[in-house]
Amino acid sequence: MTSELSVLLRAWDVRKTFEDGALQVPVLHGVTLSVHAGQLTLLMGPSGSGKTTLISILTGLLRPSSGKVELCGEPISELGDGQVSAVRRRELGFIFQTYNLFPALTARDNVMEVLRLKGMAAGEARKRAEDALGRVGLADRMKHRPGELSGGQKQRVAIARALASKPRVIVGDEVTGALDGQTALSVMEILRDHVTSSSAVLIVTHDHRLERFADRVVELEDGELAADRAPNRHWTSSRFDIRASQDQGKLP
Amino acid sequence: MRRIALLSLIHDRSKLVASIAGVTFAAVLVLLQMGVYAGFLTISSATITHMGGDVWVMPRGTEVLDSVEILSSGTRSAVGAHPCVSDVRPLVFVWSFIRKAGGTRDSVRVVGVERGRGPIMPWELERGLPSDLEGPGRVAVDAFDLGKLQIQGDPIGARLDIGGQRAEIAGITQGVRSFTLLPFVFTNIRDARRMAGLGDGEANYWVVDLKDPACAEQVMGDIQRNPQLMAVRREDFVTMTQNYWIGGSGVGPALGFSALLGLIVGVVVVGQTLYTMTKDYERELATLKALGATSWELVRFVGWQAGFLALIGSTLGSVIAFMTTGAAAAGGLTIVLSSSVMAVGLGAVILMCVAASFMSIRKVLKLQAAEVFK
Repeated sequence: MTSELSVLLRAWDVRKTFEDGALQVPVLHGVTLSVHAGQLTLLMGPSGSGKTTLISILTGLLRPSSGKVELCGEPISELGDGQVSAVRRRELGFIFQTYNLFPALTARDNVMEVLRLKGMAAGEARKRAEDALGRVGLADRMKHRPGELSGGQKQRVAIARALASKPRVIVGDEVTGALDGQTALSVMEILRDHVTSSSAVLIVTHDHRLERFADRVVELEDGELAADRAPNRHWTSSRFDIRASQDQGKLP
Repeated sequence: MRRIALLSLIHDRSKLVASIAGVTFAAVLVLLQMGVYAGFLTISSATITHMGGDVWVMPRGTEVLDSVEILSSGTRSAVGAHPCVSDVRPLVFVWSFIRKAGGTRDSVRVVGVERGRGPIMPWELERGLPSDLEGPGRVAVDAFDLGKLQIQGDPIGARLDIGGQRAEIAGITQGVRSFTLLPFVFTNIRDARRMAGLGDGEANYWVVDLKDPACAEQVMGDIQRNPQLMAVRREDFVTMTQNYWIGGSGVGPALGFSALLGLIVGVVVVGQTLYTMTKDYERELATLKALGATSWELVRFVGWQAGFLALIGSTLGSVIAFMTTGAAAAGGLTIVLSSSVMAVGLGAVILMCVAASFMSIRKVLKLQAAEVFK
């Protein structure tokens, strides 16, 4: 059993209804969920199941209609916007499917400027950015702008940006969605390595092939928690691995 | 945030050039309109400014320098007898007629002063010396007016007929223009009186120098005991004359409207660019917000871009405005870009950029960080 202290993200009976004039669209119907340190958790479910809304609420980007959310012990559903921003700044790292990098900045600056935003001195931020890019295998691409990088390289810059500030929680949204098999594999390995006894990774995905990297899978369906289970390791013999291996020039 | 904002702005060269062009255009327009306005103010009251003095004595009811009547020599004696007065100088400032070489007549403004008393007149004498105007019939005209007066070749020594009196050009001024565009003709006090038909000792204004400027009120009060006379401080007479011409002629509102138009064009161009840029960077800004940037930090993103455009546009605009000033002077238009004109003009351009960034700031403040997942 995981101890209470190791829970980094927690939601109690979270409900969310979007309003569009007179129209009310209920999206989440009372989700209770915990994300533990030391685990890579996958949040899965079909399109429209409420995954994006749930992670937006879990990370304080959206407020729930009712229910309570805690991020690293802070009751973010009850805090003001400024306080929630401060918690996110301190505790969270994000990785997005479309990378969301600044096209005008080099890979190093994309990582470094976010660290500066978090209050780090320029020299320290530069060193951290270079270390993080080195860890994701982009030491020789630091001065390249996003337009000069491949999709996989851009995603690795985004991961370096998330890792560089050493957050306790990394939240990823379809992080391998736009990547080829080999690149997706390397990206997941980097994220897997980030999971320590004091940190956690939560990834939203449709891709069951990622289960081989996960410690736990949470499934959402029609705005409700449908399953909270151990990962299915059989997915590891899927075409994902065949393609990844072919990309490396050998069969699995 | 500064680095992200500025690098993003510079990254998109076409938008950068369009924005800088917009701010520069607005800055040039505003500075030139204000410079022309300041130029009109300056030339409308230049004679008063350059004549100096502490108090000007004139017929009661005078509104403007150019509306002149005749004051007798007795007034000079009376004013000069006041214990606070150190000197009383005459100024003849009248309309007269000049007969051109082709036989046509035109109006001129004859200005006559006593040499050796008070500031040097005429100001901006390019050729000749003030003392050259002491000889009988010797006058100075402005270089710009030579064509209008149909004077060809070397103007020095050219003969003129002013107010039925023979005159000869002995000096050339540069950039001495009147608000009414009538050519100035400077001469000594005797010939000015002759050309204007004034008697000995008469003048249009008596310019009073005081021993102590603190007793101006007392002197003015004493002068105004005479119901025919009015005494006005020099700086007040400058203002009266400027208000008469600039306010009464409609020039002020016209120039103000043009300057406002420039600012509006600038707001639209810069506002459009900043807004488009903010919209283009919506996802990245939402990312920064998701990563913990506060709304204020995102506003600074827009602020740095607007500030950068204001700085570059204002600098380029100032350079172009100064270059235009020289060309305008050659064409007879006085543009005064004094430090106060520059300060107000550039202040207006900065305000323009601030106003232009409002829509972008509004967009940034309404940004939903949850958009990052869409």
